Amino acid sequence: MKAVGARLPRYDGVEHVTGRTTFVDDVRVPGTLWVKALRSPVHRADVKRLDTSAAESARGVHAVITWQDVPLLEYGHLSGLGIPADEPLLAKDDLRYKGQPIALVAAESEDAAQAAVEAMTLDLDEKEPLLDIRKAFDPDAPVIHQWGNWYPHFEAEMDRRQIRKGDIEKAFADADTIVQGVYRPAAIEHVPIETQVCLVVPEASGRLTIYTCTQALYFSMGVVAAHLELPLNKLKLVGGTVGGGFGGKVDTATETMCALLALKSGRPVKWRWTREEEFLCSSTRAPWHMEIADAVTSDGWILGRKMLTLHDSGAYARFSPYGLTKHSFHHTGAYTIPNLEFDGFVVFTNRVPTTAMRGFGVTSVSFAVETHMSRVAEVLDLDPYEVRLKNANRIGDTSPNGVVYTDPSTVPTIQAIADAMGHELPADYRAMSRHVREGALLPQHLVAQVGNPEAH
Amino acid sequence: MAPAPEVLSPTSPAEAAQAFGDGTGVTVVAGGTIVLPELTYGRLRPEKALLLSRAGLSGVSVDGPTTTIGAATPLADLTGLPAPLGPCTANVADLEIRGQATLGGNVCAGGGADAPRGDVQGALLALGATARSTGAGGEKTEPLEAFLDHRDGRLLLDVSFEQPAAGAFVALDRPHTHDYTALAVSAARATDGTVRVAATGAGSHGQRLPSAEAKANDPAAAGEAALADVSPHDDALASAWYRSKTLPVLVRRALAELKEAS
Amino acid sequence: MNLTVNGRVYELESASLTSLLDVLREELGITSPKAGCEQGGCGACTVLVDGAARRSCLLPVGVLNGAEVTTVEGLGSPDNLAPIQQAFTHHYAAQCGFCTSGMMLAAHAYVESGGTDDQQAITEALGGHVCRCTGYVKIIEAVAAAARGDSFDLATTAASPGMTNIGGVK
Repeated sequence: MKAVGARLPRYDGVEHVTGRTTFVDDVRVPGTLWVKALRSPVHRADVKRLDTSAAESARGVHAVITWQDVPLLEYGHLSGLGIPADEPLLAKDDLRYKGQPIALVAAESEDAAQAAVEAMTLDLDEKEPLLDIRKAFDPDAPVIHQWGNWYPHFEAEMDRRQIRKGDIEKAFADADTIVQGVYRPAAIEHVPIETQVCLVVPEASGRLTIYTCTQALYFSMGVVAAHLELPLNKLKLVGGTVGGGFGGKVDTATETMCALLALKSGRPVKWRWTREEEFLCSSTRAPWHMEIADAVTSDGWILGRKMLTLHDSGAYARFSPYGLTKHSFHHTGAYTIPNLEFDGFVVFTNRVPTTAMRGFGVTSVSFAVETHMSRVAEVLDLDPYEVRLKNANRIGDTSPNGVVYTDPSTVPTIQAIADAMGHELPADYRAMSRHVREGALLPQHLVAQVGNPEAH
Repeated sequence: MAPAPEVLSPTSPAEAAQAFGDGTGVTVVAGGTIVLPELTYGRLRPEKALLLSRAGLSGVSVDGPTTTIGAATPLADLTGLPAPLGPCTANVADLEIRGQATLGGNVCAGGGADAPRGDVQGALLALGATARSTGAGGEKTEPLEAFLDHRDGRLLLDVSFEQPAAGAFVALDRPHTHDYTALAVSAARATDGTVRVAATGAGSHGQRLPSAEAKANDPAAAGEAALADVSPHDDALASAWYRSKTLPVLVRRALAELKEAS
Repeated sequence: MNLTVNGRVYELESASLTSLLDVLREELGITSPKAGCEQGGCGACTVLVDGAARRSCLLPVGVLNGAEVTTVEGLGSPDNLAPIQQAFTHHYAAQCGFCTSGMMLAAHAYVESGGTDDQQAITEALGGHVCRCTGYVKIIEAVAAAARGDSFDLATTAASPGMTNIGGVK
């Protein structure tokens, strides 16, 4: 076990510092064509007419693809998790976000590809977009998705992620004060220094070699195979050398389209997004709208929590239902709250579809929960460390979805923070531990939620 | 596809002026920091490109009280100059870009759609600089304000100003070197006592703040008065509201700095 | 026109307005400078032009007649790493590696021009370079180590003393 505890150099460290690491755009295959895309210029529109004929006959163009070239136009990337397909690989009848890809060109130079894109004709019937998730529920809101304005396919065809625990009405009736807060983190761009890029080479054997920047090779392989209706053994994905991803390179956003162009042209094709495309069209971390109302006692116990979450999924579902599900399990954060009423909605808007980014679903609720704990302390004029320590998860406490905690580290962590910040805790708070609640730390309202950690 | 542009590389100011002519169809490339991205992204397809890097338009010369700076001088060569010009140029982009971007390119920058450009306009206006340019009708020297108002069809050759008795430059912090400066104020007191105050980021290009100049001895009052001279706008960097809140502060600080430097 | 890259003279075919980045990557096959934004905003394309760090995406090659360009391939090779390359390796200053080429050349120019291990000065010199992976701490430590003239054990990596107040915020 020489490696454990040792400070090992990166296996690719010398490659990085000598400029020899081969990223996708550094792979050179003779005869490679450049790809450019026709993208939606508006947030929402019906497509009246798309005419690519001028592009097809333009100088240097070897292939043009539209939705008609895609064997399986809609494939749900997370259908394995029960999320049905809703998004066409290339837009068909309507456009739902600015930047949505409509048609792609493979040509002998970047300039030729761009000129061909500009030669296409696109007639649109622009429509009123929905850009604010709070308005999605209004009776007069435009309906922008075939499923309605929010995702309806949670288990048992529920239209929300719902958690109910204990007796929320009693908690609110018993409270000394209700503390409310609204939290609205904005979208975040991943901004990897390497933009989305893909190179597909049609081999003589009939296989496609796909050089990709995806963060998930096998996952993307499955997506490509599904859209193209090809067996997996027709694809060889080469990758794992990614110039930053952070969750933004899991959407398989380029591979399938490049594969289609490679098949149609018979030539290697490469699509490298510009930085402007990255900012305008690539998926982001989702914006969220979270409303929390806590029923609290004047000595700092949180008896119950009502929470409403709206998750901005953008134009399509992608991974949002999964993100919201994780979010719902964590909506009490590191704290034990026995009476809960949580409703979360995956809401569609005419914005770029949102996707994974480092802990997506959970980071938003962590931010809201921690900020709200401080707000509770402020309203009650209590010490924010003490409010947290009192309500902190302990062994035997249960999570919103009934998981029994066997080893929560909340109490020692908060004590360590207090120590590092030079914050003096009173003796009884310094003496707290993560062990099973008892005595003053087990008020009546927490008794029913205590579970058996051994049985877990 | 656009035909390949004709590229001209004059080796003297006279050749540059002749190549520029009246500017019709000419894209001037000084440092290239503004033009190259436009070429790369296909937004600019020049018929004729004029490369100024070897045209002898670079350099700082001092003749008694007068400083003259060639339009193709890299900003990096100016960062050591006294305020306001020195600190103004030091606040542009980062080390690498300053080594390439030129005074002329900055002064002649068109208003950015999403962010203000041309910080150096403010410093030069505060210095009471004149601009020597060529174009239709030949060479002309005029106050910088006049040049800025009709710079289409003109090739800037150099700027000149009298070294000030004191100068100051104050700007809103940039979150990162790749951000443009949302709002900046330059002030200078000439040797004859005249105070000039100018701002960039409060309008379509750099402008003097005469209402602030009229109250230069009372920095706080001057700050408030400055709002009468501007129509701030919203852009990617800052809102008009934010600019209107911070302009008086920057003016006050610049004039206070100027007062202290006496 | 002629261009010298890493000590070798090339006769270029690319048009004058072609960016140096495209000349290096597409015409000459030198792929260490990266197209991170092609707008001068990220520093991934930085190369040395006559020893000075410059954004190759912003330079039309037509202004470089007679210039000497250096990329990381010209700094050192796997069995003969330049001090700055050793510093980056030993101090774990590269994660995905995409910003590394540009970052190292800027650092190399800084050290060669007499830059010290002062954190603020290093931040100023490398201010045009964006890294999304490392959080910059180990990059600054690597540059500081190179500026001090440290020697590096490449079989292991340095413990990071940790740094605070990188941006000098008060």
